[in-house]
Amino acid sequence: MTNINRRDFLKLIGAGSVGTGAGVLYGEVTKQTVELLIPQVIPPEDYSPGIATWYNTTCGQCSAGCGISVRTREGRAKKIEGNPVHPVNQGRLCSMGQAGLNALYNPDRIRRPLKRNAPGGSFTPISWDEALTTLGRRLGNLKIQGKGNQVTLLSDGVRGHLDKLFATFMQELGSDNYLQYDFAFPNALYKANKILFDIDTLPYYDIKNTNYVLSFGADYLGTWLSPVHYSLAYGHLRQGRGKRRGKCVQIEPRMSLTGANADEWIPAKPGTEGLLAMAIANVIISDDHYRGSDIDDWASAVGSYSPSAVSGQTDITESEIKRIANDFIRHRPALAIAGDNIASGTNAVSNILAINALNYLAGNLNKEGGVIFNKKPSLVQSTQQRHASYIDMMGLRDAMSTGQVDTLIVHNTNPVFNLPNSSRFKEALTKVPYKVSLSSFMDETTDLVDLVLPLNTYLESWGDDIPEPGVGFTTATVLQPVVTPIYDTRSSGDIILTLAHQIGGELPVALPWTNMEDYLKAGWKEIYSGQIANSAFNSFDQFWRKALESGVWGENKTCVPDRKNKTKQVQLNNITIAPEFSGDEKDFPFTLLPYISQTFFDGKGANLPWLQELPDPMTSIVYNSWIELNPATAKKLGIKEGDLINVQSKEGSLQAPAFIFPAIRPDVIAIPIGQGHTQYGRYAKNRGVNPINILESIVDDASNALAWSSTRVKISKTGKHIDLVKTSGVTRTLGRQIFDKPGKHS
Amino acid sequence: MTDTNYQEPGYADVNRDILQTLLVTGPKYWITFGISASVALICFFGPWAYQLYVGVGAAGMNRSAMWGTYLSNFIFWIGLSHSGTLLSAVLHITHSGWRKAIYRSAEAMTLFSLMTAACFVMVHVGRLWFVHWTAPIPNPMELWPNFRSPLMFDVMAVTTYLTASSIFIYMGSVPDYAAVRDASTGLRRRLYTIFSFGWRGTAKEWHTLSWAYMFFAVFVIPLAVSVHSIVSWDFALSIVPGLHQTIFAPYFVCGAIYSGTAGIVSVMFLLRKYMQLERYIREIHLDNLGKLLIVLSLIWTYINIVEVFTGWYSGTSFEYEFLKFRLFGFYAPLYWEMILFCAVVPLFMLHKKIRTSWKWMFIISILINIGMFTERFIIVATSLPRKFLPDAFGFYFPSFVEIMISIGSFAIFTTLFLIFIKWTPCVSIYEVKETLKPLRRDA
Amino acid sequence: MAKITDKIKEYTRPGYYEKFDYHWTMSIDLDRCTGCGACVVACQAENNLPIVGEKRFKERREMKWLRIERYWEGEYPNLKLKFLPMLCQQCDQAPCETPCPVAATYHNQDGLNTQIYNRCIGTRTCAVYCPYEVRYFNWFTYTWDEPLEQQLNPDVTVREKGVMEKCTFCVQRIRMAKDKAKDDNRRRVKDGEVTPACVQSCASEAMQFGDLNDPNSKVSKMTKNKRAYHVLEELNTKPSVVYLQKVEKHD
Repeated sequence: MTNINRRDFLKLIGAGSVGTGAGVLYGEVTKQTVELLIPQVIPPEDYSPGIATWYNTTCGQCSAGCGISVRTREGRAKKIEGNPVHPVNQGRLCSMGQAGLNALYNPDRIRRPLKRNAPGGSFTPISWDEALTTLGRRLGNLKIQGKGNQVTLLSDGVRGHLDKLFATFMQELGSDNYLQYDFAFPNALYKANKILFDIDTLPYYDIKNTNYVLSFGADYLGTWLSPVHYSLAYGHLRQGRGKRRGKCVQIEPRMSLTGANADEWIPAKPGTEGLLAMAIANVIISDDHYRGSDIDDWASAVGSYSPSAVSGQTDITESEIKRIANDFIRHRPALAIAGDNIASGTNAVSNILAINALNYLAGNLNKEGGVIFNKKPSLVQSTQQRHASYIDMMGLRDAMSTGQVDTLIVHNTNPVFNLPNSSRFKEALTKVPYKVSLSSFMDETTDLVDLVLPLNTYLESWGDDIPEPGVGFTTATVLQPVVTPIYDTRSSGDIILTLAHQIGGELPVALPWTNMEDYLKAGWKEIYSGQIANSAFNSFDQFWRKALESGVWGENKTCVPDRKNKTKQVQLNNITIAPEFSGDEKDFPFTLLPYISQTFFDGKGANLPWLQELPDPMTSIVYNSWIELNPATAKKLGIKEGDLINVQSKEGSLQAPAFIFPAIRPDVIAIPIGQGHTQYGRYAKNRGVNPINILESIVDDASNALAWSSTRVKISKTGKHIDLVKTSGVTRTLGRQIFDKPGKHS
Repeated sequence: MTDTNYQEPGYADVNRDILQTLLVTGPKYWITFGISASVALICFFGPWAYQLYVGVGAAGMNRSAMWGTYLSNFIFWIGLSHSGTLLSAVLHITHSGWRKAIYRSAEAMTLFSLMTAACFVMVHVGRLWFVHWTAPIPNPMELWPNFRSPLMFDVMAVTTYLTASSIFIYMGSVPDYAAVRDASTGLRRRLYTIFSFGWRGTAKEWHTLSWAYMFFAVFVIPLAVSVHSIVSWDFALSIVPGLHQTIFAPYFVCGAIYSGTAGIVSVMFLLRKYMQLERYIREIHLDNLGKLLIVLSLIWTYINIVEVFTGWYSGTSFEYEFLKFRLFGFYAPLYWEMILFCAVVPLFMLHKKIRTSWKWMFIISILINIGMFTERFIIVATSLPRKFLPDAFGFYFPSFVEIMISIGSFAIFTTLFLIFIKWTPCVSIYEVKETLKPLRRDA
Repeated sequence: MAKITDKIKEYTRPGYYEKFDYHWTMSIDLDRCTGCGACVVACQAENNLPIVGEKRFKERREMKWLRIERYWEGEYPNLKLKFLPMLCQQCDQAPCETPCPVAATYHNQDGLNTQIYNRCIGTRTCAVYCPYEVRYFNWFTYTWDEPLEQQLNPDVTVREKGVMEKCTFCVQRIRMAKDKAKDDNRRRVKDGEVTPACVQSCASEAMQFGDLNDPNSKVSKMTKNKRAYHVLEELNTKPSVVYLQKVEKHD
């Protein structure tokens, strides 16, 4: 282009600028708002751009207490993975735990304190000062008037120092009304273990080393106690021990995720699993497999439960019962566990007692591959068992409706969603003069309160935790913030400590700390000087740094079973093994089986979009509720997948689309718990149904827990149809080479 | 036969009759043109613009059915493009005199269906703004298209075919452009002077034309056969049950000629009726095309039977499930409709009365093309949702946008054709004259 | 032009497409897999998979590079449900690689079947040709509700409408491990240094990942297991994902 002249040059420029102009215009139209790559001009010291920082902390999504490592970049949390050194999850993590980021960055988080203008009115944002002053004055006045007992704190199942803080705070306030409520809390399991073994904590079920898992409804791979830990154990049980491959048998009326993975799935009649266990015990004794000194006691206790007698009630053939009993004995060490729907009927404790007795009879107690009793976790002392049973909650309801509760503080729990309509809890709640909610999200309960104090998520908070059930040795984990709070929110500990100073009096003396971090450090300093000081650390600071680095602290010991058998005596004589149901069989022909959803847990996970988009493991359904029906039942009633079904119990009705589920008893229908929120943010709101709503308020007398698997229902077609959104097309292999080597499939 | 009172036109009549289609434009034409152009705009370009804005998600395709009506439309239009040029070339080589009245419009059909088909490639892709990457354009990244890709073969084949067809039709039109030039004045005359390359009608010019025309006729035949074979490889080179078939190339070629021939019958009927060309497009043409259609229909039916048989005979679950879905599934009515229209209805043409009746032949030809359109849809819509993993089985139903665009494509074709008939004589003037008896002095 | 002939010679050399620097391979033990779906969420978190919403799910346009397929066997009450985690099989004879007209998908030196988002024009041919249906198309440009976008992994791009995407075996993690090996003056990445997000999260340790060219790697040992097989092996796509049969018989 050497001989370009002026005219050509101008032409080129002209053409070029028209092009550029159009380009610029297009760019302007399609331009997106400029975001700076790194928001701070001077970056904070704790990160370098482009390099990921990992923080170890504790998962707060369920009560298993897994350790997590959070990957952060430029001050933002990017991914949650399991903490490899944590004994519970050993680097692994479930879907709920990983979706914790959705809670942290949820668009529907409450971003500042809210005050209700007038009863029934809307919320107005207020400052923290105003919120805490209002609440502090109210509590202070009550305390001065000696009405401290009119304050009730209803929390989720917090443990460790936060629990201690709550307890101290309430005690200093002069109230003994500090309750914890979690829908999925296994009250019956605790109670049964207390009765049979006289222990307050849960034992460790050593699935990892057992040969045979006889699970009565316990969905240990999905929702039961500590699913990640048990999944690890399951993997080991199956393929981790060379040729010794453990066998899994699952007895439950509706196939759970664990049932799908078991070698045998046996649908006994709902509620009769205890009977079945008795029959198995009967076989063990009559076939002379048990030789203990108390054999006569046992023989008389289980004598009337011969397989032939039980077979009709449980809907399992005599030979089948005998086979299971023999397998159970033959494959020792074996393990019988009970949970979820089996442990939530009116005979829950009786069922678990009968099932636990199998462990005793087979000699599985306190040995590898059996039931191992945990030592009390000695690092952080939890105050005491505060988990409210259903009856306790009903006590709270009565107190609320009779005006004995002046101020109710709800912390991170959602009783309005998790209690049946028949409990009339919501109505009682509205009668409380002043209600405060500490929550990150506008859930159903928070929506009813007068003052909302938005919480940090667990990823922005300080704290600690003790895994329960423990892992056989002393351990505790530390929670630390992995990101700075993204909104104007505070952690529960900070709020309580600030309130203590607001109220004044003895409170600041008992709780002199101003923030949770200091409180936590002080607590751990005590632990350090008491138990750890003589170890390899120069100072507490060094220890503390190490604890924060690893995210977990414990005795570096493996599980050494304590050989002592704790069973005092046969406890099977006076149990009511027969189940009771709400509604008689003629009017309400189906047993309703609400089950804890593997994706949403008790409904807590429903506002997390990753979980809404995670296909349900058994049905592949997303974004909705469904009613599981046996194909034969559906055929009889002329129901097709997606037909809107009306489910009627004595206490109410709900409507949801039907799903033809092959693995459910014909006399049972199942609905997952978790959806059906009327609040709780855009991802959860007005989606599906909540089966808890239509349950009758019947309890298991032994544990006072709600018998949520004991409601009978009738179903009818509504004539409407809703397409279920699911990812699976045809769920049969059609003889294709999918699970076998080529040539082997038929 | 209506030929009893047929009076053969004289040379001057030919010029006058045919040129009037160009020179005289009535309100009917403008109304038709207006309607088809606006339908094209509203049904094709409107939804397409919307789709470009939101993404291909505006169409009904989904995970298992990643291809949909856009591709089936593409094949349909490519199919329709056949027999135009192909037929014309074959008949030219075999010196079939009856081709002369029809070949121009047939070739025009080729051209415009190819253009419509090309539109569908544009509509189909996810990022239209990068579609030029399929062409081997030198670039600083030294990136080249993937020559192993059947889609790449496609781009090559279609562009080559488009080029060859354009030249073929243009070359054949040059003497006619000269005729238009001679009959017109003003701007039109100047334009046609350019179009006709200064054609004077010397013996040398005629000689060169006929030689070149013959060359192209020979050249176009293998090209036309290869184009639809290549289009079929888009499907057949995959391993998807229902698409991975060795018979697909002949199947597509046969189907293409079949639908193309039927298309010619339809267009002939319309031209004859609305352009007053009764004296040039005659029953003899219809009769011959009818016979051709019967043969093609039989071949087509045979291939369909083979397809079902091999599927069943394979005994594999893949083929079996897909066949079950095609023959008895949701789209079974469409499948059997296709069999009815393309395999059963054409058998009526065995009767000469029907074969030479304009009305019946028009109806049959339209039915055949409806059937062929369905065939293309079924190939895509019943194979892809039934692939290998049953859990991933899905379902495909076209969305509103897809249906609109499919309708709009017909309007595009019509619009282009309407422009064409005002630009080029739709019956070859000079070749029709060749078929007439020598000049009668007394006329 | 000698170069081109040399290259043709090189490309047509037997084994050129089968011999890789690394041969990244994943093994999935179906006897361990519980079907819990932790891997699905892990993948979503790591690879910036969009939250598509109920409507898109209904249209079968979900974005899950890793999905769990489920197959029932038998009838009530003798039923079995089997889970099959299905992700890109990184085939060595990939049906998806040949048909892309712009070569947006190709086989790289690690034996990975890669997808170049920038190059993709969205003909969707690769997805049609893929027998495992593990390619996912961006039917729309997806957005994140604020502030969910703060979670997005800066090591992975966000894809726009009209682009095909699929499992990469977490190529960003492989890349990082290779960089680290280079920084440490090692020639090769050690076994266990790379774990894709799904493998990392798997609670029952059903998944293993590593280099098949290293005979001592965990994954090499898994592939020698008697139960090892490929899904749809008869199609001869030579997948890099090895499944281990679920054990059926039990005394």
